[in-house]
Amino acid sequence: MATPRGEVLQGTLDLMVLKTLDALGPLHGYGIAQRIQQVSEDLLKLNQGTLYPALLRLEQRGWITSKWGISDNNRKAKYYSLTRSGRKQLAAETESWERMAGVIARLLRTEGA
Amino acid sequence: MSRVRMLGSRLAALFRKGHGEENLDAELRAHLDALTDESIRRGMSPEEAHYAARREFGGVEQTKEAYRQQRGLPFFDALMQDCGFAVRMLAKKPAFTAVAVLTLAVGIGSSSAVFSVVDRILFRSLPYPEEARLVSFGLLAPIERDEFMLGASYVDFRKEPGPFDAITAMAPGSSACDVTEQSPVRLSCAFVEQTFLPTLSIQPILGRIFTKEEDRPSAPRVALLSYSFWKSRFAGDPSVLRKTISLDGTTAQIIGVLPANFEMPTLGAADILLPLALDEDQQHRSAPGSVLRTFARMRPGIGLPQAVAGLQPFFERSLQGAPPEFRKEIHLSVRTLRDRQVADARLVSWLLLGSVLAFCLVACTNVANLLLARAAGRQRELAVRAALGAARGRLVRQVLTESLLLGLFGGVLGCALAVALLRLFISIAPEGIPHLEHAHVDVRVVAFTFAIAFISAVLFGLAPALQCPAPGLLIGKEVRTTARNFLRQTLVSAQIALSLILLAGAGLLLRSLWNLENTRMGMQTENVLVEGVSLGQYRYPKREQQLTFFSELEAHLKRLPGVTSVALTDSLPPSPPARSTIFAAIEVAGRPLLSEGTGGMVGWRAVTPHYFSALGIPIIQGRAFQERDRLPTENVIIVNERLARSLFPNANPIGQQVRLFRDQRPWRRVVGVAADVKNNGLAPDADPEFYLPWKNDPVESLSAAHLIVLTRMHPKAVAGWMRAETSVLDSGLPVNIEAMGRRVSKLADRPRFNAILLSLFAAMGVLLAAIGMYGVVGFIVAQQTREIGVRMALGAMPSRILKMVLLSVARWTISGAALGLLGILLCSRLLESLLFQVRAHDPLLLGLALLILLAVAFLAAWLPARRAMLCDPVVALRYE
Repeated sequence: MATPRGEVLQGTLDLMVLKTLDALGPLHGYGIAQRIQQVSEDLLKLNQGTLYPALLRLEQRGWITSKWGISDNNRKAKYYSLTRSGRKQLAAETESWERMAGVIARLLRTEGA
Repeated sequence: MSRVRMLGSRLAALFRKGHGEENLDAELRAHLDALTDESIRRGMSPEEAHYAARREFGGVEQTKEAYRQQRGLPFFDALMQDCGFAVRMLAKKPAFTAVAVLTLAVGIGSSSAVFSVVDRILFRSLPYPEEARLVSFGLLAPIERDEFMLGASYVDFRKEPGPFDAITAMAPGSSACDVTEQSPVRLSCAFVEQTFLPTLSIQPILGRIFTKEEDRPSAPRVALLSYSFWKSRFAGDPSVLRKTISLDGTTAQIIGVLPANFEMPTLGAADILLPLALDEDQQHRSAPGSVLRTFARMRPGIGLPQAVAGLQPFFERSLQGAPPEFRKEIHLSVRTLRDRQVADARLVSWLLLGSVLAFCLVACTNVANLLLARAAGRQRELAVRAALGAARGRLVRQVLTESLLLGLFGGVLGCALAVALLRLFISIAPEGIPHLEHAHVDVRVVAFTFAIAFISAVLFGLAPALQCPAPGLLIGKEVRTTARNFLRQTLVSAQIALSLILLAGAGLLLRSLWNLENTRMGMQTENVLVEGVSLGQYRYPKREQQLTFFSELEAHLKRLPGVTSVALTDSLPPSPPARSTIFAAIEVAGRPLLSEGTGGMVGWRAVTPHYFSALGIPIIQGRAFQERDRLPTENVIIVNERLARSLFPNANPIGQQVRLFRDQRPWRRVVGVAADVKNNGLAPDADPEFYLPWKNDPVESLSAAHLIVLTRMHPKAVAGWMRAETSVLDSGLPVNIEAMGRRVSKLADRPRFNAILLSLFAAMGVLLAAIGMYGVVGFIVAQQTREIGVRMALGAMPSRILKMVLLSVARWTISGAALGLLGILLCSRLLESLLFQVRAHDPLLLGLALLILLAVAFLAAWLPARRAMLCDPVVALRYE
């Protein structure tokens, strides 16, 4: 492996899931996992199983809902979609993430200089 | 918000777990299948694809576990699991469970029942706001048990009430008053000052309190009704405030209704409150004035000592007004209201509560021993679970859950038992236990019950819970459990100590009761009936009428068939005489008056000539009264032995002249000496007492009297005739007829109640201790079966084995008994004031209690020990 795969940061998985559902609409767990790995271009080491407790947690908070449906290849699958409060949460978390990333970036720059 | 939702969703998940589990399976399977399909599509073989998918996904079981953790409430899950397991364990051994739960229920139930009785006496706050600041204050003199104030000094004091925020006064006791309109009825009326309710911080639920104007001597009458009287007579009608009520012939306007939970600070009965209407000038004129009960609310932040100090100067001043011979014997007294109300009930309450808790402890110890014995049998199970990875804390929790569950069952059953026991207590309880009529199993008692159940469960559950499973057990090795046996023996020793204390206490009270019931009363009570009659002021306003009524009643009763003699008296033994004087006020002709102090109190009764024959009181010297002594012109007196001894130590009392009450009336001639009659409860000697003839003189007539009837016939029949004869004279008069024997035995009611309860606890305690002993010795013998077998195979005699077992039993029995004796020495002094003619350290009684306990313990140990002695060595060696 040329590039070391980074661990998923605590708490960022939630944001990734929310963003994925926001971008692609209702999706099942497999789809979400595929999408995250695809976007991260295999830079992230994601144990796909860890997705499920996270999905449950988001659902318990009321940010996503789930519904059983039929997948593209005719399998039964549970589809998750973003709720209104989930959308609000995504906006809030995106903003706070960006602010944080900005701070970290600035900090790293000054360190380097 | 999202946190609440999360909790809700987690809780909901608890109830649809099965369904959730299926869905989770399906969802994960779908994911894995999709991963596998993808790999196959990329050209892997199905088998490779299967493993690749699992690699990609991570641990399926771990995912599920994490998911479950997220889904439910793990703590609650484990609790449910523990409970389920505990229920199964308990259900598997129904005999063990039943014994444990029953033992607990008996211990907890009796504690709760006793608690419900003593709660109001010891702990529950009185029904007044900030009751801790309420005090009863005044003078304490030999003539009165409770503190009082005299009118003349009170009206001065209330102008400047020193350390108090508010003070108030009421007439002592409640007086009988009659409703004199349609459906007449006799009530208790209490006369209170206008400041009475404000001082107690009580608001009427309806209407208002008295105004200052209404509390003046000549003001028009107004009345406050008690809640129960309002309910019973006016059916709780709120328009009652526009009504009047006619009391003893005068009309009073109803101005308010008291709250349902209101009670008089004296705990006396009061259907109606009327203004005291203290006349300041009149009190001064007739100084020292009338006797008043005085209560006060202390200023915030002031304690009893400060209140006493604040009152001292005033007390000194008011002492100047007291008769000189009283001065030395009068004290200032300030007590909290609770102290005044419970007085001597406090000690008994603590005694009963202490003994029932000791009993409960014995019961808990038994259950602890049961659990320990069972835990020994479960060592292997626990060791296996520990080896399989159960954390120590998890095991302790499991064991504690079981004992808490036992405690819970014991508590529930104990509550039911408490209700039944309380009913029993109330039915056998004597009069005069404060607040007993309010005692019932309420929220406080239930809370107490479960608190006790919880504490017990932790107490008896902790011992087995902390036993660490030894690893050796896993390979089937029997581990020596000396440490646990030591714990078990200590528990039995503690039981023996507690039981001995209970037994000795019960013995003392029983002995004292026996003494009390076998004291010579100095009179005969068989076939004697007494009738109490009290004439209302309204129907018998004139003294002549009262005199006539009693004379006629006496004559009527004399004519009844089978009646041997009839007597009238103003007060009845075994209660102390209603009237009394100080010894110093009895003047003997030819001798100077006592100059120092009061010399104590001397009671007296007014009696008709047949009093002595009706009650069988022997006249030791001289003669009894005769009819002609009742003439207003005659002046004779009969003294009891005790008084004769102190008045005429070296002379013949008959014919001596005495003058009473410091009055100017002529000298009275002593015509007889009557034998002493016991009339003072637990005190060993009779009190000095004298008798005056019940005169045929309206000046000395009384509105209340007792008739004594000695009969040859069946008392029940005679009682009916007496009632009939009385209603011939006045049909509306309330009559109270009682057998004299019953009256006398009432004297011992309270000691009997205490003795019965304590004996009950002691008997049950000893029984439980015996069961505990039996169980533990049996267990130890069973544990040592192999050792015993080896010894016997090597030639030990069975009697030696028996001796070996009994010796070890003796060691912890004796240490327990020694501990118990120490406890008795510490506690029994407290009992002293409850005892009658028994010393608290009566060696005979202590010895007897010790003997009983040792005998029971020996028997309980001997049965299982004998089994050990008789066991066959071959069987014993093959054991396990």
